This record gives sequence, structure tokens and C-alpha cells, in this order.
Amino acid sequence: MSSPVTSAKRDTRSEASLKAALQARKAKRRARLTPYWLIAAAIGVIVVGTGYPTVWQLVTSTQKYGLAQQFGTAAEFIGFQNYVDLLTDAEFWQVVARSLVFCFVVAAVTLALGLAFALLMNAVGKAARLTLQISMLLAWAMPIVASMTVWTWLFDTRRGVVNYLLDKIPGVDMYRFDWFASSWTFFLMAGIIVTWMSVPFVAFSIFAGLTQVSEEVLEASALDGASDGQRLRLIILPMIKPVIAIVMLLQVIWDLRVFAQIKILQDAGANGSQYDLLGTYIYKVGTGAQDFGSAAAASVIVLALTIAISWWYVRKLMKEDV
Amino acid sequence: MKKSMIGAAAAATAAALVLAGCSASSDDATTSPSADASTGSSDGAMTAVSADITLWLMGGDTNDDLRQYLKDTYAEQNGGTLTIEEQGWSDALAKLTTALPDADNTPDVTEIGNTWSPTFTSVGAFSDLTDMYDELGGDSLLQSFVDVGMVDGKNYALPYYFGSRSIIYRKDVYDTAGVEVPKTLQEFSDNAAALKTAGMSGFYLGGSDWRNGISWIFANGGDLAKQEDGTWVSTLSDPKTVTGLQMLQDLYTSGSNAPVTEFDSTPWININDNDSTGKPEAATIMAPNWAHWSVGDTSLDDDGNVVVGDDGATAVRTWSDDKFGTFALPGVDGGAAPVFAGGSNIGVSASSQHQDAAKQLMTIIFSDEYQTMLAGAGLGPANLDFTSALGDDQFAAVNIEAASNSKLTPAAPGWAAVEGSGLLEEFFGKVNSGGDVAALAAEYDEKISPLLNN
Repeated sequence: MSSPVTSAKRDTRSEASLKAALQARKAKRRARLTPYWLIAAAIGVIVVGTGYPTVWQLVTSTQKYGLAQQFGTAAEFIGFQNYVDLLTDAEFWQVVARSLVFCFVVAAVTLALGLAFALLMNAVGKAARLTLQISMLLAWAMPIVASMTVWTWLFDTRRGVVNYLLDKIPGVDMYRFDWFASSWTFFLMAGIIVTWMSVPFVAFSIFAGLTQVSEEVLEASALDGASDGQRLRLIILPMIKPVIAIVMLLQVIWDLRVFAQIKILQDAGANGSQYDLLGTYIYKVGTGAQDFGSAAAASVIVLALTIAISWWYVRKLMKEDV
Repeated sequence: MKKSMIGAAAAATAAALVLAGCSASSDDATTSPSADASTGSSDGAMTAVSADITLWLMGGDTNDDLRQYLKDTYAEQNGGTLTIEEQGWSDALAKLTTALPDADNTPDVTEIGNTWSPTFTSVGAFSDLTDMYDELGGDSLLQSFVDVGMVDGKNYALPYYFGSRSIIYRKDVYDTAGVEVPKTLQEFSDNAAALKTAGMSGFYLGGSDWRNGISWIFANGGDLAKQEDGTWVSTLSDPKTVTGLQMLQDLYTSGSNAPVTEFDSTPWININDNDSTGKPEAATIMAPNWAHWSVGDTSLDDDGNVVVGDDGATAVRTWSDDKFGTFALPGVDGGAAPVFAGGSNIGVSASSQHQDAAKQLMTIIFSDEYQTMLAGAGLGPANLDFTSALGDDQFAAVNIEAASNSKLTPAAPGWAAVEGSGLLEEFFGKVNSGGDVAALAAEYDEKISPLLNN
């Protein structure tokens, strides 16, 4: 039998170890919770900033909400009628089709050009690279309204530089060519402008990814006799796949929701609905025709479309866990 | 233990920053609370508690002298400060929709396009001014504008100014071609066709310009919409409207070089001599009456530079009667055609927190001095007693002649939605591209009618 002193010592020791164990668990829990506390403020901002409008839109899309409601009359609940009206409207589907084609074509072209510029930046010497990067940065940082003003001057019917230069090509008659006359030329113009504005971001992102491709692998492949094309396709692209995936996803989402450039082009001379993409269509229905219920429903449909398009990419990203 | 403390401190700082950023600063809306007890007397000079108020004006039609007069007189009579904010026409509709219901951000008094008045007055955006109506001018006010600002017999928005569209033409071009000022609408179309060359439009009209094109509909007795048993229907398919549209289609095709997607913009740049070719790009244009200030020849100063106005950029243009002339668009059988009645109404926002001060500003605007000043600036005054102050030069005469017969767009409650949706620009563009007028009219009647009755 242990003496009372030793058993007391044992007790205090076990008490102490119990205390230590409890404290250790508490500290562990606190440490586990610390990251959540840190991001709580940021999540709070996102919830308030984007959650409130999203909830408002979902609610309004089930109501008949017009100008009278804006000034205080109660809104009438009409369930999914707004959605039904939109989804059975041929014009809405035309706008959706146009927006999807526009976004995929422009995103693909942007990606191709961005990749090309990134490879170029990687291959040239310091001075050339710096020049290229600075000019891309300027193009990207220029405020949209300022650059759109210059672009509409460039494509102006009477005094535009584009018409002037193209007219100089023998056999091509571009004298006073009206870019706003048909929706094909209108969207060609819009596509060129949106690509010009998006390429810098893609180029910089891919360039950052390229710097991570290790030199040894490329050298080894060169020793093994791989051509440039094979090197690009089989080594470089697979290694920067995560970057390309993210950049492509962002481009598709942004190009689907493009608004400012199309609206400014429309204001410059072509206001009909054949020149509408989803962004301007929603604006015309909502702020233009003051049918906020339909506009909210259209926005929710665009949100669903965006989630559908990006679902595949997001799942892939999460699976790969790079 | 330290880690979690640092973590908590970081979270607290972040939260503090976020909350500081989120708080809406509405301090600028705090002013002395104006007593609701009406201190207005019926002898014309209203007294109200001194308050700082805001006036919204649309576009640049009200010039700086007029604005300064309003600010000075308001400060003198009320003691508060009047802030005038100018809104561009293109985003004015969106701004009015969002600002008028919001008591913190609403302008106290705002100008509003006359075509938008029925929409906003019928939803209750403006305060009832019926008890001030006689004091502000009563029956001397332009009645067609008063009517669009009335709902159920009460006045909400009153006329501010009117202008109308008239024709400006190149006398020198007409003389060389041997063309006379037309007396009927058909002669006008024939002239335009005769004058058109590859480089110059006989009559410059954008294909999607409905505010000018609508005159051809009105001149043939048609209209855009009418009220049937209390419901508004779009009447583009009405035979008279279709006749007018066909006349417009012929005129555009044979007489204008303007792009088919161009809408109401700045036609006067085409009638001035082009800087590089020295020749005009249009022999005839149709523009609001005050556009004549932008028509004319530029002059060079002693250094050989073009003389510019106060803004340092726009060239000063001087009209010359041997080169330019003006007349009112002739009707189908002579006289003046009914043209689009341009102009604005003005009203007090219903959610304004300074109702009395706002109404005091209204008395200043409708005062004899201000109405005379408006007319002197070339803007048709709301109070028709002062139209003589428009002057007696050729512009004033044409303005009055065209305005006498002018017509407004339908006073349907949803008209602002029709304008905002761009359907009319689209419709006119398709008609002028050479489409089948009757079929297009039926198609667009279906699109426009649902919007009219909100």
C-alpha cells in the first residue's frame, strides 16, 4: 500500500496531467477554430455584399415588381410566372444562344492569344519581355469607358482609322463601312475589343505558370529529340494545366456576363435587340422597361447557366487538389 | 495561447475595418427639420424654414445664367443653398427610378422629360401641387404639358419649358440646285430625293431616329397609341400610321445617307461645312430649335486658330443668312406639320424631406422674371404669357409656328418603359431598312402594347 504522501503526489501528478491534457485539448480546439475566426470577417462581407442581392433577386423573381412597387406599392406574388414567360420567349433564347457563342468563341481566342504571348514572354530577352509586359499592363489597366471611347472612334463610319486602313488594301472597299449595320460585324467588333481587354490577364497568369516549369525536364526532352511542338503539347501544357483551367473558367464566366463594352457600343449607334447579349438584355428589361421581376428572373437564369458551365471545371479542380 | 490571441486580434481588426466600411454615411442628409406646418401664404412669396435643397436638371438645356439666377434668388428668399445637379438624358431614367423613392437621396425638385411624366406621376413619385396651380400660372400654362402631369384631376408635374423641332437648310445648296422651300410634306420628300448625292444627304435622318420620324406619322393623322375603354393599345398598325411610315421609308431611302442604326443624335454637325472637304454632308436637317446655336461657320482669330467658346473645345459658330435658313416642317396639306413636342415638366419629389422649401423653389421657377429669362434663352416658357420674350427673329417665329401644332407621345402610364426598352428605335430602324411596314407594325404592336399599361 502506498503511503499517503506518495499517493497524494500521484494524485497531484495525475491532477496536473489531467489539467495539462484539458488545457492541451482546449488549445487545440482554439487553434482549430482560429482560422475560422480569421476568415469570419471576410465571409461576413461576402454574405452581406453578394448574399443580400442574391436573396433579393430570388424573392423578386417570384413577384410582379414594376415601377409602382419601387415607389411603395406592395408586390404581388406570382410564383414562377416570370420564369415561364422568359423560357417560352423566343427572343430570350436567341439572346442566350448569342451570349453562349460569343463567350466561348471570345474565351477560346483570348486563351490562345494569351498562351502565345506568355510563351513569347518566356522566350525573349529581358528588354523585349519588359516592353511586352508594360504594354499589356497598360491595356489591361485602362478604364473601360476611356478605352471604349477610343475604340468607337477607331471603328467610326466616317473618320475611323480601321476603315481607312482596311480601305487601303487593294480590292477591299471599306469606304464608310458601317460596323453597326449588321449584328455580325457588331459582334466581330465587340469580340475584338473584349479579347484585347482580356488577353493581358491570361498572358500574365500563364506566364506565371510557365516560370514554374522546370528547366531540367525541358532540357531532358530536348536531348531525347522532342520537337518544339511536342514539347509544348506533351510537357509544358500538362504542367500548367491548373493555371489554364482556372483562367479559362474565369474568362468564360466574365465573357458570359459582359455588359459595359456591349452597352457602350450600343450607345454609340446600334440599339436594337439583335445587338443584345444577356447583360444588356437584362438591363433593358429591368432598368429600361422597369420590369424588375422579369429582370431578376433572367439574372437567376444567368446564374444557373454560369454554375452549369463552371460545374465541370470546379469538380475537376477539387478532385485534382493541386 | 499566443497564437489564438493574435488570431483573435486579427479577427477583431478585420471586423472593425469591415464594419466601418459598411456603415452608410447619410450625414449629408441632416439639415434643419422643416416644420410641416405650412407657412405658405397665398400672396406669392412663400416663406419656408431655411433648408439646403437639390434640383436635378436634364441635359444642358438650362444654361448657366439661368442656373445662377435660381441659386441666387433661392439663397435670397430662403437662406439655404440650392445645389443644381445635371443628369445626362441617357441615364436619367435609371437615376430617377432609383433616387426618387429614396428619401435620403432624392432630389427635392427635378426636371423630368414630358414623355416620362405620365409614368412617374401615376406611380406617385411627385407631390400634389394642385393647391399651388393657380399661383404658379394656372390656365396660362401650356395645357398639353399640364395634362400629362395630371392624375385623377390633380396636378403633380407642371410644364418647365417647351421646344419643338424645325428644319434647318443650306440656302446656298438649295439655290444652286434650284430647289425652293417646300410648302407640303410631299414636296419636302421630293426635294430631299433631288438634292441627294453620294457625299451629301438631301435630308439627313438617322434610320432609327423616331423622335424626328414620328412627325410623319402625326402629319398623316396617325398616332403611336390610343386609349380604348381605359386600356392603352399600340396603334402602329393603324392605316394612317402605316401611310406615314411608308412616306418616311421612301424619304429615308431616297433622301438620306445616314446609317440605319443611327438614332436621335447631333444632326447639325452634318449641315456645317465639313472641316476636311469644305462641303456640308447634308442639305437639310431636323433638329430642336436651340440647335441653331451650333450651326454656322467657324472663324479664325489673329493667330490663325479656330475661335472656341468658354469650354476651350467647342468652336464658336456664326450663322449667316445667305448660307443657312430655317422653316417649320410643312404639313401634308400645307401649314405646319405636327412635330414631336419636346420639352420637360418639373415637380417636387414626394419623398423629399423639404417640401416647403421645394415648393418655394417652384414659385421662383414660375416667377415672371425666370419665365422671361427662359424665353430669352430660346426655351419656350411654361407660362405662355411670356412667349413674346422668345424674340421676333426667324428662329423664334419658326419655334412658335412649329410648337403651335406640336404633339406629345401618348400619355400612357407605361410610356417611359417603352422608351427605355429601345423598341421604337428598333422598329424605325427595321422600317427604314426597307421592311414590310404593315407586318413590322403588327409585330411591334404586340411587343409594345403590354408595356403601356403598367
